[in-house]
Amino acid sequence: MKLWIKIALAVILVFAIAGIGIGIYFYNLEPADLRKARPDFVITAVELQQAFENDETLASAKYVNRIIEVNGLIESISIGEENALSVTLQTNSDLSSIICTIPGAASNANLSTGNPIIVRGECSGYLMDVLLNNCVIIK
Amino acid sequence: MKRISFFLLFLSLFFISDAQKYMTKNGFIGFFSHTPVEDIKADNNQVASVLDISTGEMAFQVLIKSFHFEKALMETHFNESFLESDKFPRSTFKGKIVNLSGVDFTKTGKYEATVEGALNIHDVTKNIKVPGTVEVLPEGITANAKFNIAPEDYNIKIPAVVRENIAKIIEVTVLIKYTPIEK
Repeated sequence: MKLWIKIALAVILVFAIAGIGIGIYFYNLEPADLRKARPDFVITAVELQQAFENDETLASAKYVNRIIEVNGLIESISIGEENALSVTLQTNSDLSSIICTIPGAASNANLSTGNPIIVRGECSGYLMDVLLNNCVIIK
Repeated sequence: MKRISFFLLFLSLFFISDAQKYMTKNGFIGFFSHTPVEDIKADNNQVASVLDISTGEMAFQVLIKSFHFEKALMETHFNESFLESDKFPRSTFKGKIVNLSGVDFTKTGKYEATVEGALNIHDVTKNIKVPGTVEVLPEGITANAKFNIAPEDYNIKIPAVVRENIAKIIEVTVLIKYTPIEK
């Protein structure tokens, strides 16, 4: 075999292995750990809910898909399926609040109603409440 | 006297109509796709739902972006290519329990319930009829259902590269714990 063919084959092989490696890496990538992520917005629960209530379209454009760090007071805590924990934050509205879903946290939650909390999560949007997903408790 | 009895009647109606409606904001909807290549599951614990026990009417609303996957890439594909959640952020169901006479909401127990209604996913509305169970408990009402849907029916296009990874029929699980609406 000519030398240049050997080199070419070796180069192709290296690229193929790298490609497969990168592919496997991206395929297995888990949702980002928001503990390490920098929040796009730091806001209070009251302000965040108000922004969506005032103008949902505007607030969606600004906050949806972004990482938001919210501080507020715990209104209620509930345990969902798949060991998920839902923490609802108090707002000025009777009907609408901030719901933060923390995956896999139900068994080791040590929270109580009325206490202050800081939660970081990805904003999914607004149903009756502002919904945050993949949340982590900061404080 | 007449006035008082009218007032009492009004008051009782108010309370009755109040006790007829149940809701949750933390309901669960999950789905599961099985193929020889891989199993994919997603769950959503942010389902909003209302149940009116006097008429058997049920309404559900979810944000597509609230579905949580094991792997980041699945979540991206699901939102960006399959469900196009920026364009169609919500999915809804509006329907009713068709065998309402078979469910006694005043007595604790487990009942078979068939629910029929309009399911909207990806801006396509289809009529579905699904079997489920309703359990009346002292603290509220739980509703469970398991049924299959085909992404193709909702105009969800799966690109050729991942076609082998995603089932033609997706199993949907619904688990709702309703509590009475308080005023």
